[in-house]
Amino acid sequence: MKWTIAGMAFGSAMLAMAGSAAADGELNIYNWGNYTSPDLIKKFEETFKVKVTVTDYDSNDAALAKVRAGGHGFDIVVPSANYMPIWISEGLLLESRPDQMENFKNVDERWVNVDWDPGRHYSVPWQWGSTGVLVDTSIYKGDINTSAIAFDPPAELVGKINVTPEMNDVMSMVIWYVGGEYCSDDKEMLKKARDKLVEAKPKWISMDYGVIEKFASHDFGAALYWNGAALRSRLANKDVRYGYPKEGYPLFMDSVAILKDAKNVENAKLFQNFIMDPQNAAMISAFANYANGIKGSEPFLPKEMIGAPEVEIPADAVARGHFLKPCPPAVQELYTKIWTDLLK
Amino acid sequence: MASGFSIRRQPGFAAIACLCFAMLYLPILTLVLFSFNAGQSVAVWEGLSWRWYESAWANQTVQDVSVRSLQVASVSAILATIAATMAALATTRNKPFRGEAAIYAVMNTPLIVPEIVTAIALLIFFASIKVSTGYTGMGYLFAAHTAFCIPFAYLPIRARLEGMDLTLETAAADLYATPWNAFRRVTLPLLWPGIIAGLMLAFVISLDDVVITELVKSGGQDTLPTYMLGQLRRVVTPEINAISTVFLLLSVVIVTLFFFLSRKKS
Repeated sequence: MKWTIAGMAFGSAMLAMAGSAAADGELNIYNWGNYTSPDLIKKFEETFKVKVTVTDYDSNDAALAKVRAGGHGFDIVVPSANYMPIWISEGLLLESRPDQMENFKNVDERWVNVDWDPGRHYSVPWQWGSTGVLVDTSIYKGDINTSAIAFDPPAELVGKINVTPEMNDVMSMVIWYVGGEYCSDDKEMLKKARDKLVEAKPKWISMDYGVIEKFASHDFGAALYWNGAALRSRLANKDVRYGYPKEGYPLFMDSVAILKDAKNVENAKLFQNFIMDPQNAAMISAFANYANGIKGSEPFLPKEMIGAPEVEIPADAVARGHFLKPCPPAVQELYTKIWTDLLK
Repeated sequence: MASGFSIRRQPGFAAIACLCFAMLYLPILTLVLFSFNAGQSVAVWEGLSWRWYESAWANQTVQDVSVRSLQVASVSAILATIAATMAALATTRNKPFRGEAAIYAVMNTPLIVPEIVTAIALLIFFASIKVSTGYTGMGYLFAAHTAFCIPFAYLPIRARLEGMDLTLETAAADLYATPWNAFRRVTLPLLWPGIIAGLMLAFVISLDDVVITELVKSGGQDTLPTYMLGQLRRVVTPEINAISTVFLLLSVVIVTLFFFLSRKKS
């Protein structure tokens, strides 16, 4: 009896090995966890009769490490803007020329000539958003469009602030807050930034992921966090508002690119074109609550997202948002040192 | 002895013990509790419901990754146990031989080497095989899991063998049993609880693994733990609690069985 079970397990394992050999009509997507709309995948599968497999990663570095090592079997990857130059310069991506694809006309002009992929020769927009300030306005009534909420907190918010544990986001915001330039190695400015962080940290409650629940339960009064989570926090607690710091705030965008050693290049290209269709792009946003960068997708969005102040950056705040460039290694090292100091 | 030093009678013992238990179990209890939450939240209680269990059960991805986890755990636990049983027999049913200690140490390195080191080594090593052969199937996960499960299967089997008298086999041989018959009729039946215990321990260890799986997996090879890891950064619903609770229950059942099987009969 026991051996029958063992035999069955082993047999099924052998079948699994045989079944995973590459065949036509497949697409292997390597994307951030909990980021890919299942409805979108289903529609793509049904439209093109392609079997799609989605595999998760949880950081840019992990994805990069696996793809660099080779033999990964993925066709598509979704790197963040600040990592894209590394992917391109190391020759890991295929120049699939999305700019010559049929649906490229739908891409918002704003996202065509981006620093990390000028003219979009490699990648198409997936989702973008910002890191800003979330405030429960039932606790604090003052101006929320400032990073002072986290770095010089008003008395009402002391001990109720959560700061995202993302080094680049926090470092850039504090550097702009003390009047510096991101990626600068000006020692005096960095000392000011460091002192600011060290002084502010005792006034924070935590440096964690996941804020929506804590705003709902009124454990948090404020947070430095992503806009998609801000939208969901407001739906869970009507007093939560999202501020775009006047000192400057970081933007992020993840873009869909094809790997140079992809096995299913044609399907991957179909996918790039597919997600530039407004209706399909809206499915991406509906799942993860971030904007998608495709014109004409608004009418297809869920109603709580249409015109939401967390998704649509107010005109007067647009210029203060910046994409973070990768800093030179020496500077990055300095920032990491400050960051580790802070986490101690 | 009776009136000697006893750690249990030191001041503060009860308080420290309670604190330790609270630290260990309160977070898990909270997690389990909120898996029954009727609301969307993992922090605000909104009443009792099974909805997250239902939604996890109906979630196709969760089904796929769970089946894959069980498959990897079954295959690698069986392979690891076979290897561990042979190794345990070779290192206990003979006269001690030169280098036995070294073999023992080599077999147990997965217990000492940090998991991330093994994971990165396997990532690089397997990647070159993947590139040269083009094979990206489940075999790599099976191999990796089998390798780090071997010491976990080996230790209970060896412990069981050490408690078994060598004279049993000698007696069987005296009665004209062939070595194979002595093994089948005497050693194996006595050893069986140890083998099952080792198998179950290996199974649980493989089921729990995150780091090695994350770096070894190819496309479409997410297991339950790597899937859960990927969910965490964004919105967390009590569905994750429900999955974790079922996972926890499975581990507890297996470890309890392990405990009863490996307990020495007095």
